[in-house]
Amino acid sequence: MLEVSQLAHGFDREPALWEISHLQWQGRSLVHLRGDNGSGKTTLLRLLAGLEVPRQGTIRWTLGNAAPLSPPCPGRVLYLHQQPYLFDTSVAGNLRYVARWHGWRREEARHRVAAMLEHCGLAAHAEQRARSLSGGERMRLALARAWLLSPRVLLLDEPTASLDRQAIADVCTLISSLHEAGCAIVLSAHQPSVLTERCDEYWCLEQRCLQVSAFKQGVAV
Amino acid sequence: MRELMNTVGEALYLLVSFDPALWEIIGVSFRVSLTAIFAALPPSLLIALLLARVAFPGRWFAISLVNTFMAVPTVVVGLVLFMLLSRSGPLGEWQLLFTQRAMIMGQFLLAMPVLIAMLHSTLQSIDQRAWETARQLGAGWWSSLWLLIREARFGVIAAVLAAFGRIIAEVGSAVMIGGNIEHFTRTITTAIALETLKGKFAQGLALGLVLLLLALVLNVLLGVMRGRGHQTVSA
Repeated sequence: MLEVSQLAHGFDREPALWEISHLQWQGRSLVHLRGDNGSGKTTLLRLLAGLEVPRQGTIRWTLGNAAPLSPPCPGRVLYLHQQPYLFDTSVAGNLRYVARWHGWRREEARHRVAAMLEHCGLAAHAEQRARSLSGGERMRLALARAWLLSPRVLLLDEPTASLDRQAIADVCTLISSLHEAGCAIVLSAHQPSVLTERCDEYWCLEQRCLQVSAFKQGVAV
Repeated sequence: MRELMNTVGEALYLLVSFDPALWEIIGVSFRVSLTAIFAALPPSLLIALLLARVAFPGRWFAISLVNTFMAVPTVVVGLVLFMLLSRSGPLGEWQLLFTQRAMIMGQFLLAMPVLIAMLHSTLQSIDQRAWETARQLGAGWWSSLWLLIREARFGVIAAVLAAFGRIIAEVGSAVMIGGNIEHFTRTITTAIALETLKGKFAQGLALGLVLLLLALVLNVLLGVMRGRGHQTVSA
């Protein structure tokens, strides 16, 4: 569960981009975060991931039975950049890094990495340089790398921006699978897509506030 | 002209016949310079990381200071170390003057500014997302640091090659604190200076050829590294 109170953030001495007096989210749904360019969607996602320190207010994640935590929550609440950073190694190597950091045994790591690449449709590219992949494949690799950790929450910053139709469909399928596997997702997106239509909640940053609506069969309530 | 050709021929003969005296000098040079470069690399990496990634008051002054030290003449480093290591100096008790260790200290000091400046520039150009991604995926502080260095590996190798090229070709501090002692602290550059003064051009020329060959190899390697680094950045 996410609890946000009295949150405000801005850059340098500029006035705050927005203020969120209170937000409570169960952290199970698929959320579409909307807002105009410059409204602070990326900033909000980065704050929730703990990549920025808020100017004021608090953010608390309660994940499972653990005590509430301030972000960052490595491996559990993950933020994916609009253009994900891929390490300068092979496709499989990107996943092996994660295995190494979490101390998985070699055989276990090999098995899990191979299964994840297969699941995400990247098995044929396993030994290819990650940075030679197309935009859609890069996003799928970033999602596979995150999925390897079975995160509780994924914060996706415009995951389908500048992708072609087929790549958008592939990425949306993968994100839906992740959600069905029990990962809560907040995604920012300008354009409506198959994925945004499936969202259960709708957060909108406008007039320096966050408006929250729930969807029931496509209708905001 | 004929004399010059004879000298060149003699120099080449010394090289290919593996003249023991010549190769001993080459061995001392490489031993001293490689030790200095590998000793200077870890602290230089840490300082460069600090300058590239941590905002602290006086950072820009520290960067300017490092850039200034890059231009310090080698004889000045030799002079300072000579004063410190001579019997009457504060470190005289260590009895390091005219030893290979003293030469390593001198080359360590000469290598550090070059390493720090080049590593700083390389590490600064590494995408901030690399650190953020690694930390989010559960990498510890040291693992993330190692990842950054690995991502910048071509720049790191280029910095090492450039610094190595500078210190193996320096003569000022080597002659002042090494003393150019035969079989002990005589290096390629100090031997060239000595042999030239004695009128023995063949050995000096042979050693000069080694330095030229080394410069060529280092430049080719640097070119390859720059190319690979560029490919990595643009990918």
